[in-house]
Amino acid sequence: MTIDFLSTGIALLTFFGISALMALSLNLEYGVAGIPNFGKALFVSVGAYTAALTYTYLLPLLAGKTPIYPCGANLTDALQLRTGIIREAMGIGLLNFLLTLVIAAVIGGLIGYLASYPALRLKEEWYLALVLLVGSEIVRILVRGYEPIICAHNGISGLSQPFVALGNPKLASFLFALVILALVALVFIFSERLIHSPYGRLLKAMRENERVAQSLGKRITRTRAQIMVIGSAIAAVSGVLFVVNLGFASANDYVVALTLDVWVMVVIGGIGNNRGALLGAFIITVLDRVTAIAAIQLDQIGFQLEFTYIRFILFGLIILLMLRYRPQGLLPEKPLTTEAHSLLKTQAQK
Amino acid sequence: MPTVLLIDSLVRSLQVGSLYALMALGLTLTLAVVKLPNFAHAELITLGAYVALVASFWGLNNLLAMLVLCFIVTAAVAVLSYKAVYKPLERRKPSIYTMILASFALGLILRYVLFLLVDRFDFFDKRIKIPLEIWYQSKTMILTNIFFWVVPTSLILIILLSLLLNYTNLGREMRALADNRALARVQGVQVERVYYFTWILAGGLAGVAGALWGIYTSINPLTGWLAILSVFAATVLGGMTSFVGTILGAYVVGLSENFVMQLLNHYLGLDFSFKPAIPFIIIILVLLFRPQGLTGFMDGFRTRAIRRQTNP
Repeated sequence: MTIDFLSTGIALLTFFGISALMALSLNLEYGVAGIPNFGKALFVSVGAYTAALTYTYLLPLLAGKTPIYPCGANLTDALQLRTGIIREAMGIGLLNFLLTLVIAAVIGGLIGYLASYPALRLKEEWYLALVLLVGSEIVRILVRGYEPIICAHNGISGLSQPFVALGNPKLASFLFALVILALVALVFIFSERLIHSPYGRLLKAMRENERVAQSLGKRITRTRAQIMVIGSAIAAVSGVLFVVNLGFASANDYVVALTLDVWVMVVIGGIGNNRGALLGAFIITVLDRVTAIAAIQLDQIGFQLEFTYIRFILFGLIILLMLRYRPQGLLPEKPLTTEAHSLLKTQAQK
Repeated sequence: MPTVLLIDSLVRSLQVGSLYALMALGLTLTLAVVKLPNFAHAELITLGAYVALVASFWGLNNLLAMLVLCFIVTAAVAVLSYKAVYKPLERRKPSIYTMILASFALGLILRYVLFLLVDRFDFFDKRIKIPLEIWYQSKTMILTNIFFWVVPTSLILIILLSLLLNYTNLGREMRALADNRALARVQGVQVERVYYFTWILAGGLAGVAGALWGIYTSINPLTGWLAILSVFAATVLGGMTSFVGTILGAYVVGLSENFVMQLLNHYLGLDFSFKPAIPFIIIILVLLFRPQGLTGFMDGFRTRAIRRQTNP
């Protein structure tokens, strides 16, 4: 019974970073702007499919080779081409990775803009939740049945992270975790600044009462679209990291359960609070890793317990208990303070 | 297209449509009366199927007794879920998203508890033990006893439900609550009591539909979850809160999943793996372009008829 603490720690950080990005994007959309994105899996999967496409087409082009259609008879050839380039030329791998992030963010934003279209026309507010949920399932079914993107239901492998070229797996995963955490920090700072700007106050006003915001001359539909674009771009970036960390893209990873995981994070942490989203992501990742390791260890001593099932039961219970006893989350949203507030306060003291 | 395939897909449409109608009516009831999109409805369907399965393995082979048993068990679970989960939450006057999330969470718990039990006792992908008999056979069509059980049972239950809604005090109170909650309360409708009856009806119908589904095909703990979005499609197509609309919607969904899919496969070569996307596309198109669903057409006819009567 040995546990490699260094690798476990690095894996934990990696998973935390990826979930934190998803949680931050949902917090921006639902927590701050009040858009119920029950289709998070869709926007995450956009990043994954983008990565699959860039690794099959862009990567060979950058290396000066001709891309090969990745499915069917060419499966192994295409796989060897991908892994060969990543192993030999780290510069090209890195460039491809960075370009993938950018392209995924752009495509994700575009899809987010398209998805915000129904938000303008639906009759009742919860229909949007249903439309996004169903939309994510439609895309999953289409991708699973349509070969050219990720070889239909077979999925596509060999989408490794660029640092494997260093030849040292531990160092490589450590560097990759650092990149992810840097991205999390970037998104966190961006999102904090956004929330504490006048624009952020508009978002909260929109969440609290759309009509009031509208009557003050704010363009609700445009603001909603903007937030969907930003949130989806972040989600797509997290999708790239998710799939590159896994090395394998399969449509079956982007099911409703993934969306629910992200919701659990935001609900635990505190709806509307970015620190809460980070805390929620951390708790869920630790819970996930610990139960996974415990399951393996217990399995070795011959004690079988279906942890995948228990994990979901636990998540359901967590959501219900949080909603009932602490709906504001572990770290509740702080009331708005602006310079005007502090000015008023000092004047009152005088 | 060969007539055998054509008729077979029509028969399947009718069968599946009837079951969807049963499932969707429960969903519509909770949506209309309690104002809750209950995603945990899926697990009530699965639960009904498994209750019937276990009963049949224990030697219960009277179908009517089996359906009654399913009705009782799932109705009890539905009432319990209202009492333990939704009612305490509702006291805080939460946003509808909180309620949706709670129903997801409840569904998750029920589904994976079922998974645990099914895994322990090895009940994956089993069919309810009802001997298959052929009751009608011609060159192009085979109808089994299952068909003659599923379709009439569904229709009888639908008729009973419509009688209940239209001709009893309880039904009137339910419709009043669905129409205008505040007004119904003022008129002295006992809201809690009607809520409990609504949950009993919705849960029980889901359980019976699940049991019939389990007679029709093999079941696993994901059965209800895989069906629930088709069921939602029926409700959405019916305009969310309409009784007749929901039934029509269920048959339209059943037809488009089987008959239309068969046509698309035959003439356009569309693969059957795309079949689950059909109800989803229906949901999106209806919500975007015709949120009142099929009811709008009927209301249109009615007002036109009334107008013709009043000023000829």
